[in-house]
Amino acid sequence: MIEEQRVIDFHGHTGRLDLYNGVDDPALILRAMDRVGIDVSCVFNIFHPDGTTGNDITARFVKDHPDRFVGFAYVSPMMAEGMVAELTRAVDELGLVAIKLYPPYTQWDLNEPIWHPIYEFADDRGLAIIFHTGTDAHSHPGLLADCAAKFPNANFVSGHAGNVAEPRAAAIRAAQDYPNIYLETCSTFRTPGVIEQLVNEAGADRVLFGSDIALMDSRPQLGKIITADISDEAKRLVCGGNAARLLGI
Amino acid sequence: MSIQFTFRPRVPIFDANVRVGDLHYQPSPCRNREQLLAEMDRHGVEKALIYHAQTEEVSPIDGNGFLEEWLEDDRLFPQWSVTPTPDSMAQIEALHEQGRVHNVRLHNARAVGLPFRPWACGPMLSWLSENRIPLWIPLPDADADELAMTLSAFPDLVTVLVGAHYTHALWVRPLMTTLPNAYLELSRIEPLGEVEALCAEYGAERFVYGSWYDRLAMGTMLFYLHHTDLSEAELELICAGNLLRILQGEGRHD
Repeated sequence: MIEEQRVIDFHGHTGRLDLYNGVDDPALILRAMDRVGIDVSCVFNIFHPDGTTGNDITARFVKDHPDRFVGFAYVSPMMAEGMVAELTRAVDELGLVAIKLYPPYTQWDLNEPIWHPIYEFADDRGLAIIFHTGTDAHSHPGLLADCAAKFPNANFVSGHAGNVAEPRAAAIRAAQDYPNIYLETCSTFRTPGVIEQLVNEAGADRVLFGSDIALMDSRPQLGKIITADISDEAKRLVCGGNAARLLGI
Repeated sequence: MSIQFTFRPRVPIFDANVRVGDLHYQPSPCRNREQLLAEMDRHGVEKALIYHAQTEEVSPIDGNGFLEEWLEDDRLFPQWSVTPTPDSMAQIEALHEQGRVHNVRLHNARAVGLPFRPWACGPMLSWLSENRIPLWIPLPDADADELAMTLSAFPDLVTVLVGAHYTHALWVRPLMTTLPNAYLELSRIEPLGEVEALCAEYGAERFVYGSWYDRLAMGTMLFYLHHTDLSEAELELICAGNLLRILQGEGRHD
């Protein structure tokens, strides 16, 4: 909690990534969260294309600290035949509340038809979908506009807000054009002025704080928001107000 | 500790890693010294060690010349760049004769195939070591094996390893163990809990705060460092004390 504002981290991972010293130790994660007033972190597991394996890991992780973590479901069109069934299980049985997708782990641009059953599922239920977005062709955030137009009841979140200048500009344009597109902030680039750009050009009500925990510590990523040259009211929306509205939590 | 939407540092801040001026492909958000000082004021930063962007990929010699207009006696201190060529060494030696060299930054020539090996960099490293001039080494341009092997041959040389990213996560501990006179600059240390873990393992006296502005936003790591398990004494060392000691030629630990 920061000045009575509930803080929600919209981007977190379960599972280890040892090459980068990424360790999903709940004690370490909670210590980082507590140090800076983060109330809830959203977590997902992207390492298993069947969805089931990672979603079970995420559900167990959340179950140990249900007041501090919220789980998102992951599926992949690399195993397309089981996607909708797994999403149904993850949401209805495991209690996961949104969807994470990672196009670089697939062969398809994020707006190609093979992804559409996922978007139809989210559209039917009014769920949010967070994508990794960046410079690679499959993940270019400009493609989100196509999805947002076709599935207006789903909310599409550009993870990392495109990460660098050109895709970031495309992500902002997409958010300007469609009310169901949001921009999430985590990035190791930490380029000066980016938070200000997102808030000023897309609107504070369309930006979500994220950290990439446990791959990265949530504290410097929150520090980007706190030390940005934006109003306190904008910080409240970015740090948690928007996420609470989007997730209904 | 109550967290606020505004943040000011609790301890004096001397930033060990600030870039000024334009890259050839990207203008700087700060157009002049006054704008840089205003950005430092906004984040509560008292002093900074600055190098010029042109030294990164264009010319350490010309870039050092462009740095002159950014210097300010009380707050902005020079970090000259150096590479192992006769022209570059002549420039640094001339500045040293004027009493103006208290640290240098490696302009890495690995991009054109010159490795960081004793046969290529030995005379430069010997001169720096003999004159007790600490060397900043950007890790994004470096090779871990070259660093370990070459710097081990110059054990008196104090180095500051700059910009360790999560992609360097497996390098950091072996380098810090192998090189007792190396410091780690913290601008990009983002693995979970790593600041506390590294300080517990090596001691806070082995780390310096740098923002790597304008490559990175200025305030983020300061906010992080002020919200760790470090003591106030450790925080003061990291945010200014260690850097002051290094610049006074007293950075050796062995």
